[in-house]
Amino acid sequence: MRKITNRALCVLLLAAAVIFGMTVYVLNYIDYGHDWALYFSRANSGSTGQLLDRSGIVLASFGGIDELFSPDAETRTANYHVTGDYWGRTGTGILSRYRRDTQDFSLLTGTTHIENTTLTLTVDARLNNKIYELLGSDRKAAVLVCNYKTGELLGMVSTPTVDPLDTEGEIPDGAYLNRCLSASYTPGSTFKLVTAAAAIENIPDINERSFYCEGEYKIAGVPVTCKAAHYTQTFEQALSNSCNIAFAQMAVMLGQDTMVSYVTQYGFLDTHSLDGIDCVAGSYPTEFVGDPELGWSGIGQSTDLVCPYAMLRYLCAIANGGTLVEPHMIAGEEPVTTALVEPATAAQLTQMMNYNVVDHYQGEENFPGLRLCAKTGTAELGDGDSHSWFVGFLADDEHPYAFVTLVERGGYGITTSGALSNEILQWAVANLE
Amino acid sequence: MDALTEYTLTASKYALIILSLLIIVRCIRSMLSDQYEGEVWGYLWHQSQTFTLTHWENLIGRSPGSDVRLAFPKISRSHAVLTRNDKGQWRIYDIFSKGGVWVNGVKSGDRGLPVVHGDLINIAGESLRFYELSHDARLDYESGRTVAGQGVSPSVTLFELTLLQLFLLLQHSLTSDGERLFSIALAFIALIALEWCCYNAMRVINRSGFEVETLAFFLTTLGMSVAASSTPDDMYKQIILTITGVVLFILTGWWLRRLGRTAAARIPVAVFAVILMAVNIVLSEAVLGARNWLEFGGFSFQPSELVKVGYIYVGASTLDRLYRRNNLYAFIGFSAFCVIALALIGDFGTALIFFATFLVISYLRSGSIATVLLAVTGAGLAGFLAVSVKPYIAQRFATWGHAWEDVYDKGFQQTRAMSAAASGGLYGKGAGAGWLKDIFAANTDMVFAVICEEQGLIIGLIMVLAVLVLAFFAVRSARHCRSAYYSIAACAAMSMLLVQLALNVFGSLDLLPFTGVTFPFVSRGGTSLISCWMLMAFIKGSDTRRNASFVVRPDKPVDDDDGGADDDGSGTVPEGFEPGDDPSDWEVWQPCEK
Repeated sequence: MRKITNRALCVLLLAAAVIFGMTVYVLNYIDYGHDWALYFSRANSGSTGQLLDRSGIVLASFGGIDELFSPDAETRTANYHVTGDYWGRTGTGILSRYRRDTQDFSLLTGTTHIENTTLTLTVDARLNNKIYELLGSDRKAAVLVCNYKTGELLGMVSTPTVDPLDTEGEIPDGAYLNRCLSASYTPGSTFKLVTAAAAIENIPDINERSFYCEGEYKIAGVPVTCKAAHYTQTFEQALSNSCNIAFAQMAVMLGQDTMVSYVTQYGFLDTHSLDGIDCVAGSYPTEFVGDPELGWSGIGQSTDLVCPYAMLRYLCAIANGGTLVEPHMIAGEEPVTTALVEPATAAQLTQMMNYNVVDHYQGEENFPGLRLCAKTGTAELGDGDSHSWFVGFLADDEHPYAFVTLVERGGYGITTSGALSNEILQWAVANLE
Repeated sequence: MDALTEYTLTASKYALIILSLLIIVRCIRSMLSDQYEGEVWGYLWHQSQTFTLTHWENLIGRSPGSDVRLAFPKISRSHAVLTRNDKGQWRIYDIFSKGGVWVNGVKSGDRGLPVVHGDLINIAGESLRFYELSHDARLDYESGRTVAGQGVSPSVTLFELTLLQLFLLLQHSLTSDGERLFSIALAFIALIALEWCCYNAMRVINRSGFEVETLAFFLTTLGMSVAASSTPDDMYKQIILTITGVVLFILTGWWLRRLGRTAAARIPVAVFAVILMAVNIVLSEAVLGARNWLEFGGFSFQPSELVKVGYIYVGASTLDRLYRRNNLYAFIGFSAFCVIALALIGDFGTALIFFATFLVISYLRSGSIATVLLAVTGAGLAGFLAVSVKPYIAQRFATWGHAWEDVYDKGFQQTRAMSAAASGGLYGKGAGAGWLKDIFAANTDMVFAVICEEQGLIIGLIMVLAVLVLAFFAVRSARHCRSAYYSIAACAAMSMLLVQLALNVFGSLDLLPFTGVTFPFVSRGGTSLISCWMLMAFIKGSDTRRNASFVVRPDKPVDDDDGGADDDGSGTVPEGFEPGDDPSDWEVWQPCEK
């Protein structure tokens, strides 16, 4: 019997394992309990409060007997991708994710509900209404507007969208997808801003060089084409001409490793988080490809994909002299700043983007009164259609707005998105404080 | 929620924590720190020393682990086993020793020879005289032992548990809607009635050890609360299941009272278990990947849960049989059948529990770490095979430790469990006030998190501690069991529950791969609750404190049985041996011939 009873001690080993596991859990709970507890918004049910835009317009009020949205159908619809809903139909949106600010956590009491909390957003509901009015309900489009000095996200509209209170109407295809955050697109010529930054920093005599374009250029036998021949042009002119041949040559000159390192450094391949709402990552050929493919990737074709939000971050950084003030939607938080772009590079890109507008986009005529720096993108999809991009910012301390306008299958960048952007910016300059 | 409700809820939360702490501390004091003297059945007198026989099964040999250690070179390490049966008859078995065993000059084989009071036993030339404690002497000795529950009154602990149940009911009355409250209240009141009935029945038969039942009822209460939160429409079923569990616990315990019939029924139980598993494989339909359910006239049950009890029953063994090889082989075959059958029906969590229990039992039986390592290696290979054949198992391993990276799919359950558990803090949200309960399978696979969310981390930890205390108690009791059967059964049963607990709790918290097994007593799931209660009978069987357990029979005078062997033996010695006497003053000792 004594033998057996000695062996019985092996049960204590199992008990020790259980105690060890529980200890690990308790330590984890102390370290991560806060994050765990506040992760799911269902844990917050019980808090009462309101969701306001930057000027105090009520976008939603929650935790009461009825959970409500704005009384105005247009405001509800235009701001749907900002607010989200109470039922989690879209994974993005503040209501789907309002975990901070409406909820407290302590190790002793766990989560505690807050009564009458007010969550103020940096978003301007009227701006969103305006953008939605301009886009219309049929187009598939994404528009982001951000104050690059403060990181405040001012506008975010994705269409098609829905009225969260309308349970009768037909739901347009893809209405629950926030195209600003949860989709990535072929960037087309807007990507030349990345290639240009790499060229500025890595090709020593880039500003003295000239690029020659006959309308077609063969890299290892594979042609890269432009719509028309640009002939001899400077680096600056190559960007304003949006010359495919010049930028394909630059990409090949820089080499794939350098291109990949810039794409990575500028965060195009990362999954960003806007106040805890995850965005999708972009893509770029990181596995070895030959020079022709590298050339195409340098002009935003190939397998390049960019999330509009990632593009916005890059523009904000350029506009703010290279320092990115991280965009955010919830007001009152100290934003994170990152040195994303070299200041000299940012300065030259700013100057070149302004030259684009003045020299090439008929700035006086198309964008009256705006100190605009921008780049168009007409991203060919290979089936004859193209995504229409227009991205940029106002080099204006009074109105420091960066923006991304994208219309799916919208045709030329300048005609579709450029015109939309002008209307949006004109309204913003006139009406935003 | 108005202010009064709020205050009541908060006050009840603190009350629940204080009561849980009181209950667990009282059980720990009573089970683990009170005096626990072993029983005494007889003595073996050798010229070097007197050996006290504290068990019904005593190993005689040279090894330090022997109960009667004779450190002479001629004697084998494990030489002989001296056993007593339910009728008070003693027998000695030669377990394949080199030197041989004689009783009064007659050689014993492995079939054994009867031994009676005063007999002379020759162990490879070393002579021992056997003295049995007479009934009166045993009564005398018994009166000196500590009565269970002497220091910590079991009725007070049970009263605290009743209060705890009433506070839980109060919380449910604040959070659940009116229609369901009746059945919830009925369930709690039935539980209170049930535990007091059990307690009074124990008092009637003069038993005062009630800690095992109290802890089991404590865990059952938490399970009842989870059921009331998550499936309030099924409360009647929960009541019936609990009563069934407790009744089967008492019946199993009653059956275990007699070692003879217990050991004899091992083969029928094994056959029954094999048939049950076979029926399960043939008849059951797949429910969510595992085909571990059987339907009988509207009642569904999990045969594998009942087989758990059978497995412990068959796996434990008396000491004399331990030394017969083919006995172990039969057990290995039985284990392999169970594990393979469970793998076939896709219940890998339970297969893992069986396997871990198999390791514990085989170590308890053989003491050989090499055997255990061999088994682990074999199982590792089999597991590797299973992972490569069944992609969803590989998936669970891949998700392990990365639950937060895929919150909406592969880490769905774990992340919700962790979030809910953390949001409860130390005091919880109150019974019925959580959100995790509405998630699929929360009341079984993630039950630890449901308790942490609704009752707080402290009660969650006490819930785990309750199982640990039962395990520590089984280990402590194993030292004093009458038979190796009870020691092995109690330790194996607790190992099974510990493994089950670890897989359940750590699986849901992403510290182990998610296996979807139940938490003992607390998880919703009828058959599991019943099997846990039945396993408690094995713990009661190991509890030999004075007047503690209804499973341990009090010593009776031997003449009520028809056993003849002891009658003619006890007359040959003039008087009984009294503790404290010097055996050397006794009759002249005669060396026997080999």
